[in-house]
Amino acid sequence: MTDNQEQLIQEAVEKALQGDMDAVNNIEDRVTRSKAKAALVKAKREAAKTSAEPSSEDKSEESATESKPAPLSLNQKIAGIIASQFPGTVDEESSSETHIQLQPAKWFDVAQYLRDDPACLFDSLQCVTGVDLGEESELEVRYNLHSMTHRHAVEIRIACARNNPKVPSVETVWHIGDWFERETYDMFGIEFEGHRDLRRILLPDDWEGWPLRKDYEVQETYHGIVVPKVKEGWE
Amino acid sequence: MGVVQGDQMVLNIGPQHPSTHGVLRLKVVTDGEIVSDITPIIGYLHRCFEKHCENSTYEQVIPYTDRCDYIASMNNNFGYVVAMEELMEIKVPERVEYIRVIMAELNRIASHLLALGTYGLDVGAFTPFLYMFRDRERILDIFELTCGARLLYNYMWVGGVSHDLPVGFVETVYNFLDYFEPKVQEYNDILTFNKIFIERTADVGVLLPEVAISFGVSGPNLRGSGVKWDIRKDEPYSIYERFDFDVPVGQGLVGTMGDCWDRFYVRVLEMIESTKILRQALKDIPANGDVHQALPKKIRPPKGSIYRRTESPRGDLGYYIISDGSPQPYRLKMRSPAFTALSVLNEISRGWMLSDVIAVLGSLDIVLGEIDR
Repeated sequence: MTDNQEQLIQEAVEKALQGDMDAVNNIEDRVTRSKAKAALVKAKREAAKTSAEPSSEDKSEESATESKPAPLSLNQKIAGIIASQFPGTVDEESSSETHIQLQPAKWFDVAQYLRDDPACLFDSLQCVTGVDLGEESELEVRYNLHSMTHRHAVEIRIACARNNPKVPSVETVWHIGDWFERETYDMFGIEFEGHRDLRRILLPDDWEGWPLRKDYEVQETYHGIVVPKVKEGWE
Repeated sequence: MGVVQGDQMVLNIGPQHPSTHGVLRLKVVTDGEIVSDITPIIGYLHRCFEKHCENSTYEQVIPYTDRCDYIASMNNNFGYVVAMEELMEIKVPERVEYIRVIMAELNRIASHLLALGTYGLDVGAFTPFLYMFRDRERILDIFELTCGARLLYNYMWVGGVSHDLPVGFVETVYNFLDYFEPKVQEYNDILTFNKIFIERTADVGVLLPEVAISFGVSGPNLRGSGVKWDIRKDEPYSIYERFDFDVPVGQGLVGTMGDCWDRFYVRVLEMIESTKILRQALKDIPANGDVHQALPKKIRPPKGSIYRRTESPRGDLGYYIISDGSPQPYRLKMRSPAFTALSVLNEISRGWMLSDVIAVLGSLDIVLGEIDR
């Protein structure tokens, strides 16, 4: 390769980096052209590396400065209130801006407090969702609370052991808790302690197993009727 | 020296009884004509919708949502796609937003027409039922024109809708509105302000606002108790903040606030509000646009969870979706407004006559497909 050729490639690459691809494409010799293209790719990669490093530092600095004055989300505020009123109930490591992770022990008292405290006033229990976190791990109950007065909403999550799932009932705090908890019991077998009428609601009373658990297996027959197997998942 | 108590009788209403609006069984304890306790027994239509979802892809869930509240399938689709789009951060084209609002509001009118008509039937007025079904048929024709289906549409997709509007759609809906708006007066004359109807429904089954909120009652049932809460207004989704409409609430016009008549009348007024939204949407809808433009090639939401509610004709319809990054939902929970509405039945109809229980149940406008899922 002559110096002349090298110089040609260098010039073409520099022009191409500024956006003029014709400089590379117009090289007549095929070999020189492909060499120029390879050099261009290399040059671009290096440029990206050098520009990415400082920019990522910039970003982390920005986010660090942003996160300090950023206002707490409502979930974090309410988590703070609960933590000050009931020390030891909030699992701060697992809580985030979108939910509050609680220990089950004082849930009934916390629920009552959340409903009645003037700053919270969560008078409406919107939704109770049972979740199976996986065959090896725990079950979880998620409560979506909403306040008709303040028009704000939070999500509470309470985990419980898989082989003996127990969570205090809030059926007397919100009336709808009665049916929501019965539904969660029906599907996951989570026992809501203190519920006055905990029995199946959607399934027949003599159904076996907890259908929405991930390790659920359908019973083979029900009153002499063969139960069809659930179709395997889609690939 | 306790209270003198007569013989109690346990009476089963349903599961096959026209006044239960589906396969619902009420175990009613009566003392003569007076009802002392009601236990609703549900689950006759249970298909474990949520388990099916875990074994389906996200696209395949949409037809299942149709079959939950089959009276207002469009609104069920709408709630699901709104939640999914928020989870996947998809921005849908303007035209799609307008089409969805038009469909949702048309379906709301159709749903309320069915609710009002069958309610008349429950309390002994047969003719209004035929009037309202005649008019509901016109809305179903519009849906048929759009997507070919009359009841279960599978129309709204994540990121778009299945078909663009057919030629002449806007004129058809305008024609329908011109036809429909005067009809509301007709319904009021024949049923709403009919003296016999008022006798049957006013002051019956009064639902206090605090009780309603604690029972999670929502939608027209909650507004009938005087609580001004409508997600279209208070937590606007899609493009509802652009429209000018009122949220009617019960005022106890002929009886007590929160009685059966109030719940009925709120639905009548809501139909008028829906026609207002429809007229604005038809005026502003962009004439052109590709309704498939924002459809994702593959629906794989990022890991995470979302709870999003929308206003269905029956109230707060919520979807709790948990994604693990695969094409199938890890967990999908539907918060059904009819489920919560039915739970309040025992509370507000204890102590009334047996015939009033039918009036109260009808006024709650339940759909068993959605309760049992």
